[in-house]
Amino acid sequence: MTDRNAHDTVVMDRSFDAPVDVIWQLWTDPQHFGAWYGPEGATIPVAKMDVRVGGKRLICMEVQTPGGQVQMWFAGEYREVVANKLLVYTESMSDQNGEPASGVPEGHPVTTEVRVELWDTGGSTRMVLTHTGIAADSPGAAGWAMALDKLAAHVRSFLQRS
Amino acid sequence: MTPAIDEDRLSETFAALASSTRRAMLARLAEGAATVNELAEPFDMTLPTVSKHIKVLERAGLVHRSRYAQYRPCSLDPEPLEEVSTWAEQYRPVWEARFDRMDDYLSRLRFQVRTNKNND
Repeated sequence: MTDRNAHDTVVMDRSFDAPVDVIWQLWTDPQHFGAWYGPEGATIPVAKMDVRVGGKRLICMEVQTPGGQVQMWFAGEYREVVANKLLVYTESMSDQNGEPASGVPEGHPVTTEVRVELWDTGGSTRMVLTHTGIAADSPGAAGWAMALDKLAAHVRSFLQRS
Repeated sequence: MTPAIDEDRLSETFAALASSTRRAMLARLAEGAATVNELAEPFDMTLPTVSKHIKVLERAGLVHRSRYAQYRPCSLDPEPLEEVSTWAEQYRPVWEARFDRMDDYLSRLRFQVRTNKNND
């Protein structure tokens, strides 16, 4: 990737053999969402999704580990909602009430943003997902990212010389 | 998840990079090794404060200090920065797996639709 946010963004481009409204439901209907979202063997016992701009979401993922069952909670907010076209939401580790999880070190990308873009490609769907590690609204995020870019450029030139 | 990435170390790297002073120090070190005094020059800070910043960078593995030279110059170790750039890449296999499951689920849904139609 060559965009300036390459260090904190992952972009996935994929096609699905299903109409765009079905893919939209897979993202926005809690029952459908829970059926595919978690890793293999995980369950989604809670998926609260108030799919409208400013609406909250709260997801619980339950995973079996050798040490027993572990629950992870993720809270966030919908930023952009255009049915069958665009879904943008934020996501942070949280507790079961949606309050931010403690113990995240300063400077770590606490909030991430997931952007899902959908296109009808004649009965099937093209989906581009952009997952960004630093939310646009987190304090100083823009400046932080720019500083990191500058630093990366420095490091690259340093590596070329050595 | 990529097992090669050490979460604790990554957190430490991010924490170390969260200070503009420390980023400026790293930028300076990208141009070559420097002593603590040289690193302190552009900042209106006491030497102990500067040392504290350097220690954070050292703990994060971003800065290496020579043990033998008289002035113990600091030099940059860019390796943790490369791990930072792969932080987002960790999510690629996670999403790949999710989308595979999405595909499987779509197949199941299609099968259900077909079965329902056949029963009509």
